[in-house]
Amino acid sequence: MIFREVEDRDLVAKARKGDVEAYNLLVSRWEKRVFNYLLRLVANREDALDLSQEAFLKAYQSLPKLDDPGRFGAWLFRIAHNEAFSMLRRRKPEGELPPEKGGVSRELLPMELSLAVETALGRLSDEQREAVLLKVYQGFKFDEMAEILGCPVSTVKSRLYTALDLLKTTLAPAILRGEA
Amino acid sequence: MSCEQYDWKAYALGELTLQERREAEAHAPGCQSCREELAHVRLTVDTLAALREEEPPRRIAFVSDKVFEPRWWQVFLRPSFAAALVIAAAILMHGYLTRTSEADIQARVNDAVSKAVADVEQRNVAAINAVDGKLTSWYAQATGVVRQ
Repeated sequence: MIFREVEDRDLVAKARKGDVEAYNLLVSRWEKRVFNYLLRLVANREDALDLSQEAFLKAYQSLPKLDDPGRFGAWLFRIAHNEAFSMLRRRKPEGELPPEKGGVSRELLPMELSLAVETALGRLSDEQREAVLLKVYQGFKFDEMAEILGCPVSTVKSRLYTALDLLKTTLAPAILRGEA
Repeated sequence: MSCEQYDWKAYALGELTLQERREAEAHAPGCQSCREELAHVRLTVDTLAALREEEPPRRIAFVSDKVFEPRWWQVFLRPSFAAALVIAAAILMHGYLTRTSEADIQARVNDAVSKAVADVEQRNVAAINAVDGKLTSWYAQATGVVRQ
C-alpha cells in the first residue's frame, strides 16, 4: 500500500503537469477496483461502467484540487461514491425499502457461494453494502472510509458492524452447506 | 477487562493498534465467548471473499481518448492560453496608448526636413566663407609681390 501511494503520488504530479500517459496509468491501475465497487453498489454492469468513466473524467478535471496526491485512491473513491449515490437517489424514491435480491444474475456469477454472497449483499441497505465493499473488498482503513463517505469514523463502524451481523445471519445457510 | 471492551470485528479487519491486538490476544485463550465471536467474524469475512471480482466489460477511456478532451470553454481556462491572451492584450494596449495621428507624423516629417535643409545650408555657407577667406588671402599675397 505504501509503494502504491508513492507511485500514485508521482503519477498524479506528472499528470498535473500535463503528462497524459501518467494519468492513463492511474486509470489502468484503479479501473477494475472502481468498476467492481460501483458494480456491487448499483448492481448493473452498464451503469457501473458509465459511472466509472464519469468518476475518472471528473477526477482528471479536478486533479489540481487534490490536496494530498498520496491519497489519490481514497479521493477517487469519494468521487465514485458521489456519482453512485447520485444515481441511486435518482433511481429510488426516499424511504423506499431496499431490494430483496442483488441485481446481478446467476448467469454472471455461476459459483453458488458467490451468488449467495451477492444475494446477501443485495439485502443490505446501500450505506451498509458500501461500508462492506470499501472495507472487505477494497481494504480501506476506517479513517479513509470516513473521508470517502463524508461521515465520522463512528458512523462508518456502525454501518459496517451492523452489516457484518446481518451478513452472518444471511450467509449462515451457505456457510453451513460449505462446511458440510 | 470485560469482554465488551474487545472489538473482535476491528481485530479481524486489521484496525487495532499493536497494543490493542496484544491485549485482545492475551484475553482470548481464557474466554470461550470471545473466541467464538472472533471465529464468526472471520468466517463471515472469509465467505465474503468468495464473491468473484469482475473485469470491466470494456476498458475505461484514457486521457488521450476523445471523451477526455476538454470542452470548448475549458480551453480558455488553460494557463498557456490565458498567458497568450494577457500578452496579446498588453501589445494591443501598448499600441493604443502610443498611437500617432497622421497630422503628428506629417509635422514630425516637416520638422526633420527643415532641420536637414538648415544643416545643409549652414554647411554650404561655412564652405563658401572658407573659400572666400582663402581667395582673399591669396589676392593679398599676390598684390604684395607685384608691388615689390
